Amino acid sequence: MSSCPATYVSATLPALADSPRRDIFLSATTDSTSQALNAFLASVERRAFRTAQIALRHEQDALDAVQDAMLQLARRYARRPSEEWRPLFYRILENRIRDLQRRRTVRARVLAFLPWSSEEDEDNPVERAPDPAPGPAAEVEGGQIGSALQAAVGRLPARQREAFLLRNLEGLDVAETAAAMGCSEGSVKTHYSRAVHALREQLGEFMT
Amino acid sequence: MSNDTDKSPFERRAAELLRESADSLDAATRSKLTQGRHAALDNIRSRPAWLDLRVLAPGGAVAAAAIVAVVFWTGANHRPVTDGGGALDDIELLADADAYEISQESDLDFIEWAATQGEKDVAGT
Repeated sequence: MSSCPATYVSATLPALADSPRRDIFLSATTDSTSQALNAFLASVERRAFRTAQIALRHEQDALDAVQDAMLQLARRYARRPSEEWRPLFYRILENRIRDLQRRRTVRARVLAFLPWSSEEDEDNPVERAPDPAPGPAAEVEGGQIGSALQAAVGRLPARQREAFLLRNLEGLDVAETAAAMGCSEGSVKTHYSRAVHALREQLGEFMT
Repeated sequence: MSNDTDKSPFERRAAELLRESADSLDAATRSKLTQGRHAALDNIRSRPAWLDLRVLAPGGAVAAAAIVAVVFWTGANHRPVTDGGGALDDIELLADADAYEISQESDLDFIEWAATQGEKDVAGT
């Protein structure tokens, strides 16, 4: 990501201030910016989807969250230096995931309160029932250690989950993770170590 | 980017499993993600250049400065008088030398008597 049209745009645009060539320059660089953004989004979209799916446990919601994050990045930050895209994208994605989780919680509360809510909107008792899966051990025995890990990560508190996925699935370092989570590097280290500790307690013996 | 060498075997194995799961998405999901990406990119391609923030910023700054100036100007001309009411009374009192002397007079009974006498004189004439 060293050669970056967006950075070139940022550096060149001030030099063209008040110049009639400015509009021509902008339209010419839009294509190169969108090419760079396309490459960036293609490189992160699958992991971003998996991150959203683990957090939301719903495929369509996860797709919506990722698409919305891509749209917001393109709309608001496409002309920012491409080095900033990664933390910005994950920050938008995490905000979107949180919004969807909050909306889901509020919706469930409102529907539970309203006496006239239709049967379709009511909580499905099957969904509310405890997970019939016998736990990580059985999943591991069935050769599904990946699924067991995803389920365990999905059960972590939100900030621990974010720190763990950003560091291990997205491959961000501590500083990038802090930028994406909007907190200090110390907080990232704390959340991350707690997440690792919790996961190791559940899955450690199956993953060595 | 993160350096995996400083991670424990457990963390490295977890990272490996998570990345495998992301790389093995089904074709339908991959297709939807691609469509979403293209829709996002279409958004910046179809956006006119004049909507660029750097183009709008100088005009916006001038407009904001003008609004602030108008707000201050109109605010200065419509100063509330409620707090200054007492002060205005004091100024009128000081300007009227007679009124000031009366207000300093301790014998109010005498003043009332003098006033009634004056009214009687007027009625008698």
